[in-house]
Amino acid sequence: MNWLKQFFSRKQLYADLEEEVASHLEERVEELLAEGLSKEAAVARARREFGNVTATKQRARAAWGWRWIEDLFVDLRFGLRMLKKNSVLTVAAVLTLALGIGANTAIFTLLYGLVLRSLPVSAPTQLARVGLASLADPDDSTGSVSPMTYHMLEAYRGEQTSFRELSSWDSADVLVADKQGVTQSYLSGMVSGNAFELLGLQPYRGRLIAPYDDVKGGPAEGWPVVLSYGFWKDYYGGADNIVGQKMFASDVPVTIVGVAPPDFHGVWAGIQPKMYFPMQFEPVMAKRPDWMDEKGEDLFVVSVIGRLKPGVSLVQANAEVTQLQGGLLERFIPARLKHDPFIEKAYLKVASARTGLPGWLTNLYKKPLFLMQGLVGIVLLLCCVNVGGLMMSRVAARRQEFALRTAIGASPARLVFQYLTESFVIAILGSALGAVGAWYGSQMLLHFFRNPMMFEPIAVYPDRTIFGVTLAFAVLTTLLSGTLPAWRASRADPGNLLKSRTGTGGRRHIAGRMFVPIQVALSLVLVAAASLLSYSLVKLRTERAGFDLDHITIQTSPLHLLKLKGNAKLDLYQRMVDRLAQMPGIDSAAATSQTPMTGVKITADFQAVSDGPSPPEDTQMAYNDVGPGYFRTMKTRILEGREFERNERDLNVCILNESAAEFFFPKQQALGRYVRSKPNNDFSEDFACRVVGLAEDAKFSDVRQGPPRTLYLPLSTRRIDKELGNLVFLMNSPTKAQAVGAFRATLAEMEPTIPLVIFVTLREQMDAALGSQELITLLANFFGIVALLLSALGLYGLLAASVTQRRGEIGVRMALGATPGKVLRMIVGEALALLALGMILGAAGVFFAGRLVTAMLYNVSAHDPATLVGVVGALTTVALLAALVPALRAARLNPVETLRSE
Amino acid sequence: MNQHAEKRDLFPGALEMMVLRTLLRQPLHGYALARHIKRVSDDLLKIEEGSLYPALQRLLKSGLVKADWGISSTNRRIRVYSLTAAGKKHLKVQVSSFERMLEGIQRVLSPEES
Repeated sequence: MNWLKQFFSRKQLYADLEEEVASHLEERVEELLAEGLSKEAAVARARREFGNVTATKQRARAAWGWRWIEDLFVDLRFGLRMLKKNSVLTVAAVLTLALGIGANTAIFTLLYGLVLRSLPVSAPTQLARVGLASLADPDDSTGSVSPMTYHMLEAYRGEQTSFRELSSWDSADVLVADKQGVTQSYLSGMVSGNAFELLGLQPYRGRLIAPYDDVKGGPAEGWPVVLSYGFWKDYYGGADNIVGQKMFASDVPVTIVGVAPPDFHGVWAGIQPKMYFPMQFEPVMAKRPDWMDEKGEDLFVVSVIGRLKPGVSLVQANAEVTQLQGGLLERFIPARLKHDPFIEKAYLKVASARTGLPGWLTNLYKKPLFLMQGLVGIVLLLCCVNVGGLMMSRVAARRQEFALRTAIGASPARLVFQYLTESFVIAILGSALGAVGAWYGSQMLLHFFRNPMMFEPIAVYPDRTIFGVTLAFAVLTTLLSGTLPAWRASRADPGNLLKSRTGTGGRRHIAGRMFVPIQVALSLVLVAAASLLSYSLVKLRTERAGFDLDHITIQTSPLHLLKLKGNAKLDLYQRMVDRLAQMPGIDSAAATSQTPMTGVKITADFQAVSDGPSPPEDTQMAYNDVGPGYFRTMKTRILEGREFERNERDLNVCILNESAAEFFFPKQQALGRYVRSKPNNDFSEDFACRVVGLAEDAKFSDVRQGPPRTLYLPLSTRRIDKELGNLVFLMNSPTKAQAVGAFRATLAEMEPTIPLVIFVTLREQMDAALGSQELITLLANFFGIVALLLSALGLYGLLAASVTQRRGEIGVRMALGATPGKVLRMIVGEALALLALGMILGAAGVFFAGRLVTAMLYNVSAHDPATLVGVVGALTTVALLAALVPALRAARLNPVETLRSE
Repeated sequence: MNQHAEKRDLFPGALEMMVLRTLLRQPLHGYALARHIKRVSDDLLKIEEGSLYPALQRLLKSGLVKADWGISSTNRRIRVYSLTAAGKKHLKVQVSSFERMLEGIQRVLSPEES
């Protein structure tokens, strides 16, 4: 503060000092003149008495302690001048660093936005989420917390002492007519009355949802809605008179009471709710009035965010919840779920909610993002090594200058500082360029994280943290790429260097040479990762999935709004499927409960009915309820028997896929045999079914996993009401547009009141599932190629310089009888030695990187020998090509000429 | 950074202490201050007049003295230094610790005590 003020007024302070000293001398001279001295004698005596005027002033200025800042400015100016002088090299260095820093910033922007960022609320570290967890959940150790039931929360709220307050959150699609009057579905937040207050948010306009809004039946003045800042801008154009306006949300009249703050994008990572409603509005909007009743048939589950009391840690809160969980689980988990494997090992867990609620996006992209950050981290290292190499060559070129400066008294520390400043200038230029690239880059990368089921793209935003991290990258690169050259510069020996200009003989490049093996090693790691990932992606893309990926369109209309039950509901679906199949362009249509590749895998406990002592049983068998025509539409081949017929609406028939048939009835005829649900398991109904068909294996929930054993059941009256909910329509048509047209026409004709939901093709669903895989493969390949180029350039540069430097030596060798071939072999041999050293270093890197990549590989080992041999081959080829040019030049040297010029 | 260049005939801080003591009596400008110290010390200390200015800058920086431009009796523009409250306090502490140190040295140096 004061210091800063003084610093900026230092010109004045210095001027004062200047004037003061001058006046001091004048006064003394006047006095001496009065004593009778001559003018010259007086001036000389005054000066003698005063001491060295310039040195005194310098010392006086130094008293303020600004020397280093002033030096820094001098260094910066000098650095910029030196960089301008050598512009080609500067541009190369800046571009290299821009690439490295840009890539890191771009990935970090995503990683930060989706995984690491704190919620923009007051004291986010006090926030914690509470919910069900289960030892049966493979993600349990990674902090996964599931929602809990609304009534469990109410009971927990009363019993606990860890939290100051607990709020509940849920997300739901709300239907609102857009400006053209077409009904659109908007993802919205359902929040308990205290939710915004608990976060400490201030409204941007009007007010936020308050406790008195969240009452059964709604407040007296009608249901309120709070708009997100983005929705207010996009949909209402940021209208000033927004508060008090009416709208319809899923056909319910609501009043806009306020706008949420601009930087608040909801509590779910990467997902932006458009509107916020009181929690009690959810059953109203869903037209399920008894949904939140404790005795209701359906569970009302919510995500819970609480604010811990000051001084209460997560550990303490967890200890308390462990005490309470026995009673809570007993009371609030319905009996029919008690045998679910998840519930059997369930417990209550408290985890940090600093970053909000990790959405499925976080879970889906966390691993790939960390892996990508690791890959681009290697790229940044490589860029630093490369720039370090460039800098080293510059130090060599500027030895004269450094030696001269040492000779006239510059301290080594001063030289290091000055040189690092130059590196920093390059790094800052590189980061500025990189940051711009990163902004566009990260938006582009987001397209890979697309999901066809979402209307809105995922959103990430740059902020101060991103800026700070970019700056940190710049400092890091400065130190990594500048330290060694700076050290070399500071050790320039004035005696030696001022004498000779050419500097022959001796291998002064030892440190410079080390850059090449490091580059090779890093390239090896990147190229290996790229190859393994590419190989996986090719396998994933080309493998037969067990269904027709290219012609199937999916539509999930909210037909549940019609409140049909049992056979009536099944009839409606059947009529619509029949009508669809008649539409032009539709080859076939069907209804189903699940579609493949959504990431959702439902399994249950089934066993074969057989006479043997222990009939095979599978507790994790995938199953799906599918309507007539499902296999024809999906183009999943029926190998034996038939698919379900229109009148089959009970669980007495079923179809197995090959793996399931082989598992239940090894080496036997499966057709005509029986399979049943195990008594008391998590499946809703007890049944035994006769196998009427055998289908080919098909992938199910996850593209990255092979086809699971699968049991297909018909759409049954026993399950349609409670378990199946809304069914999904599948249409097989040459193009998506035909399916969309056919469905619109069918719906308009049969159920015009039902809104359309987005149409998705299976291909899109698969692309979404593979989005991160594709992205990481693309990035790894891009950077693999960059790495190869950088190492080739590094090797070429080193050898070229070495050949130039050793002209004399080579000339002597040739004069003494070395053939051009021998010279060629000598230079190439040198390259191969560096390459081999790099490969050895790189092998260690591949070993560690392999563990990192494994999570993203499909049917390929992280140390796949064929791939690794290919990578080594590619790297060797590139290195040889890079070495060939300088080697040929060496071989073509004319010994007479070189010796003459020595 | 320039410690080596500074004349270290005095112990560190001695000059500053003398400046503060002088300014305690009355505010002075640089030249008068230099002459005063020279006169009072009977030229025994051999201080370069110039070395006063780095000392004054250090005192200014630590807020022990303040400086104001004014006009002297001889109609010259001068920069008059005066003690601040912090300066007075600092001087008191310094002088008493200096006296203790001096007493210690004297005891060691006096011959009859050994």
